[in-house]
Amino acid sequence: MSEATAVSIQNLSKSFDEIEVLRDVDLMVNKGEVVTILGSSGSGKSTLLRCINWLEQPDRGIIKIAGQRIGVTDGGKPMSMRELAKVRARTGMVFQSFNLWPHLNVLHNVTEAPIHVLGKSRSEAEAYAHELLDKVGMSHKAKAYPNTLSGGQKQRVAIARALAMRPEVMLFDEPTSALDPELVGEVLAVIKALSAEGYTMVIVTHEMTFARAVSDQVVFLEKGRIIERADPETFFTRPDTERVRKFLERNEG
Amino acid sequence: MNASAWNMLLEGAWVTLWISGVSIALGVVAGLLVALVRLAKIPIIDQLLVLYISLARATPLVTLTLFIFLSAPNFGIQLDRSVAGILALTINTTAFNAEIWRSAFGNFSREQREAAMAMGMTPWVMFRRIMFPQLTITSLPGLVNEMSFLIKGSPAIAVIGIVDLTRVTNRISAVTYEPLPPILVACVLYMAIIGCLVWLQRVAERRANRLAE
Repeated sequence: MSEATAVSIQNLSKSFDEIEVLRDVDLMVNKGEVVTILGSSGSGKSTLLRCINWLEQPDRGIIKIAGQRIGVTDGGKPMSMRELAKVRARTGMVFQSFNLWPHLNVLHNVTEAPIHVLGKSRSEAEAYAHELLDKVGMSHKAKAYPNTLSGGQKQRVAIARALAMRPEVMLFDEPTSALDPELVGEVLAVIKALSAEGYTMVIVTHEMTFARAVSDQVVFLEKGRIIERADPETFFTRPDTERVRKFLERNEG
Repeated sequence: MNASAWNMLLEGAWVTLWISGVSIALGVVAGLLVALVRLAKIPIIDQLLVLYISLARATPLVTLTLFIFLSAPNFGIQLDRSVAGILALTINTTAFNAEIWRSAFGNFSREQREAAMAMGMTPWVMFRRIMFPQLTITSLPGLVNEMSFLIKGSPAIAVIGIVDLTRVTNRISAVTYEPLPPILVACVLYMAIIGCLVWLQRVAERRANRLAE
């Protein structure tokens, strides 16, 4: 595997109670690349994303984050919680429902893991947090508590929180699905800006226009299999399969 | 009532306060430990804890206090009255507190836990930094409620001869033949103690508002 691979997924399979959600999925994400995962609901896209940082445990397959295998040690044993946490710290995740910690203000949401996981000093963590909050346009709310923020603001803070770990890859799990329509734009704009800065990202989304604009690679999942993968231009204008053509027709606009 | 009666009342109040206070402190921590161990669902130990909780909750405080004080010599232990009283109150309140903590654990947001795990927190860091600060706030109304039950139930320890705030009113009226004044004063003192707890609860509620989405 080359040095430039941020995430590699080989032969990933996963079932929930006899129902196969993912089947032999292979996916390579290069450093600096943006990959969007599309598919109708129930196709397994969120499960695929959540397997990357082991929030879901796959039944089979190998997942590596920047060359480091997650979930299983070199000796082939299941990782301890401590070992697993170490690999997870190299990924950043943004959730559909933001998942900020309500007892901490915006600044401390961002500095919590750098201080208590990475062992950074408070001053160093806060300096970087202010920089990131500035990047997502939330520096004016550094002292505010999550319950006083709008959904779009919460999600931008959540993005800053994930970035604060300086992750090898950012994982976005339908980052705008829980937002009021008029708040979607501000979050997508932040993600777009990150892609322009060269962040590696894997994004599960239903926003077609956004996916087309931001992706280097588009992957389409259907019943737990990747049935199409292409650059966005090809994917959105000349899809190979009838299934994707239908999906795009239905999601136009 | 004369000065010595007032003195006796204040001494009684002090006995109630320190014995309850020690029991509350021990019981809150022990309840947390019981809840944590139950979370690990270790076979046999878990069943034993369930048995302990249902027994402790079903036994009247007076009965428990008597049992502990009278049975200790059979095990070769000479228990001081205060120690026996504290033990009984603690055993009782721990069982209730364990259930309060446990329900707070059970209701803790899966989303917040996932965010902590995704950020690379080990279970211990997650517990200490994310869960515990919120659990204390959400459990506090229930815990304070239990604290006030404990204080109001604490006259049970008089059964083994501890002279607490309630018992002392008896002693005073035995001399003065006027039972009402000391009892009234005792009521006011109980209310003052419980009032402090209610104030604590209000502070907690204000902080809890922040946690509500």
